[in-house]
Amino acid sequence: MSEKTKLGLFEYDVKNGLGLISYNVDEHEHAHIIVDTKKCGDCDSMMCVWGCPAQCYMFRDVGLDEMKFQYEDCVECGTCFLMCTDGALSWNHPRGGFGITYAYG
Amino acid sequence: MDEEVDFDVIIIGCGMAGMACAAQLLKEGVEGDRILVVDRGEPIGAKNLSGGILWGRELDELEDIFPNWEMDNPGIERYINHKKIGFLSSEDAFIMEGKFASWDGIGGTEEPSMRTGWSVLRAKTDSWFAEKLEEAGVFIMPGIKIDQLHIDGLDHTSYTARDLTSPADDAGKGAAQKWRIDNADPEIINAIREGRICGIVQDGEVMTSNVVVIAEGSNSILTRSYAFDSMLHAQSRHGIILGVKEVIHLGEDVINSRFGCFSGDDERPPSGMAMEAALAIYDDMAEKAWAEYPVTAGQVPRAGGWLYTNRDTLSIGVVIQLDSLPSGIHTYDMLEAYKSHPAIAPLISGGETVEYGAHLVPEYGLNRMPDRLVRDGAVVIGDAAGLVYSNGAVIQGQNYSIHSGKLAAKVIAKCIESGDFSKKSLGQYKKDLDASYVMRDLKRFKTTAKFLADDANYTWVPKFMGKMFNRVVREIGEEKITVEKQALRLRKEMRRKDKKTKKGMGLLNLLRLGMMGRKL
Ligand SMILES: Cc1cc2nc3c(=O)[nH]c(=O)nc-3n(C[C@H](O)[C@H](O)[C@H](O)COP(=O)(O)OP(=O)(O)OC[C@H]3O[C@@H](n4cnc5c(N)ncnc54)[C@H](O)[C@@H]3O)c2cc1C
Ligand code: SF4
Ligand code: SF4
Repeated sequence: MSEKTKLGLFEYDVKNGLGLISYNVDEHEHAHIIVDTKKCGDCDSMMCVWGCPAQCYMFRDVGLDEMKFQYEDCVECGTCFLMCTDGALSWNHPRGGFGITYAYG
Repeated sequence: MDEEVDFDVIIIGCGMAGMACAAQLLKEGVEGDRILVVDRGEPIGAKNLSGGILWGRELDELEDIFPNWEMDNPGIERYINHKKIGFLSSEDAFIMEGKFASWDGIGGTEEPSMRTGWSVLRAKTDSWFAEKLEEAGVFIMPGIKIDQLHIDGLDHTSYTARDLTSPADDAGKGAAQKWRIDNADPEIINAIREGRICGIVQDGEVMTSNVVVIAEGSNSILTRSYAFDSMLHAQSRHGIILGVKEVIHLGEDVINSRFGCFSGDDERPPSGMAMEAALAIYDDMAEKAWAEYPVTAGQVPRAGGWLYTNRDTLSIGVVIQLDSLPSGIHTYDMLEAYKSHPAIAPLISGGETVEYGAHLVPEYGLNRMPDRLVRDGAVVIGDAAGLVYSNGAVIQGQNYSIHSGKLAAKVIAKCIESGDFSKKSLGQYKKDLDASYVMRDLKRFKTTAKFLADDANYTWVPKFMGKMFNRVVREIGEEKITVEKQALRLRKEMRRKDKKTKKGMGLLNLLRLGMMGRKL
């Protein structure tokens, strides 16, 4: 290899992968994760954004001034709950019968 | 036996731990219709994801309930007889491999002849296990999520599931973090934390049992909510890894020829390969991230990659230590970078991704297990109990889960006989677990977690391995020197590169790593 490989310097569209999972999305009033976005304003590290494998959290990484959260694409991994140390998250599994269905796992 | 309860045992979660517990209870003579297994997935297995290789022959003991499991379970894909361990850096890949005739399990070898590892796809394995349990008479209820346990004498409407998992309005940060439940009446709090657990609450309806087995896996909400573990403890990201995975369809023939696999016969499933690698491939991503988000500058993402062959698909993914992730790097980009590494890309080329997913692994070992595994009327098993071992080359969680489920079942069966379900009687489970290979392994390898959390393994070590091998085997007209000299020269060169490497490859550090490495 003559030139140094620049690995990973691209923006991968994770929605391609998410499109392959089957979801049964619950209504908003039963959202399994609730984000108190008021608390996000002074959050420098935004660890939920970087940790979430399903791009449910969008904020300054995509040029937004305000945290935009959507639970619909969530793969129910629990990462965001561990990443947010500011007490902005109420996390639970979706109600029985809702959320993702893996066919392989 | 207490005839007033709906079930002798209610098991929450039909993953590896829960299903094994139910099967062992049957073996101990507990009637199927006295056992209820509830799971939030529908069908069973729909929420489950592992790497994954199932190691060990734990299932043999459950052959009565899971007959011919190796051949008949559609999620047991290939047996492993080919293992690779690698070090990947941006430029190089140094991969060691072994192919073992004894792992074919057909005899005629000096080493014990046994098949002991299988690639598995959990959505498929788990629904088969559930089907067999159902055939044996166990009640299985899929699509039911439990978020409250029934506590003796406590009205479950006096608090809600959201109270257990939501930050309080006056929530602090870190150690001062408060949850809504912390503001409840002290009597309620005390009942939730210390009362006798005697059933589950489902949609406002109570189902009672003598014992509740919590087998809820790594997102152990009930375990923390009901104070087996402290919330603060449970919310820490230390020792937790996130696995991000794709299943890629290649077709059986391509896999057989590309990976040199045997195609299977009447007695054996097809054979397969399992590869894990330490990754030092995120330099460029990290540098860009550090410049954009100085808040975590200098933090090296510690990750490993894996690739396993299934029957007609590959499981490929990265495991990321969550406490190492710097701001500026998306976890899914880390998977993409691994997939596009020159040593990996050709292995998956021509394949079609059929599934994407992610799941947590509680890799913390003994350093961070829940405070207790037993309460009056309840036990915790499997991932919820933190029973996972990893040394970088393998993850073992499924076999430990199965084993913990069996041990719990044996104790529960005795408690059913004696009619005593106190934490003292059920506590025998913890003692048996301590005496079993599960806890002995975890104890013996306590330092492994430290070793795995050392930046060296994700920075200079993979680079050093790649460069060393490259220089020792190449012929580009340079003067040949001995391996020892080469190593010293390379170390000197690499230490010149930056301060961090200089320190990392310092003598003391090498000694420290060596000491830890010896104990793997
Ligand atoms: C990426 C990755 C790679 C891995 N690789 C390996 C490997 O190669 N080898 C290995 O041995 N292990 C591996 N593991 C670990 C292994 O997957 C786990 O240790 C194992 O699955 C744990 O089994 P369990 O039964 O405790 O939990 P799970 O298998 O997670 O089962 C928990 C069950 O509980 C259900 N549940 C949860 N909460 C509720 C609720 N409130 N109500 C009702 N049901 C509920 C879930 O639907 C699920 O079915 C890996 C894990 C990951 C994430
Ligand atoms: S980590 Fe917490 S506070 Fe920070 S942006 Fe994410 S949700 Fe908001
Ligand atoms: S649980 Fe996982 S997938 Fe869902 S929002 Fe949180 S980090 Fe994203």
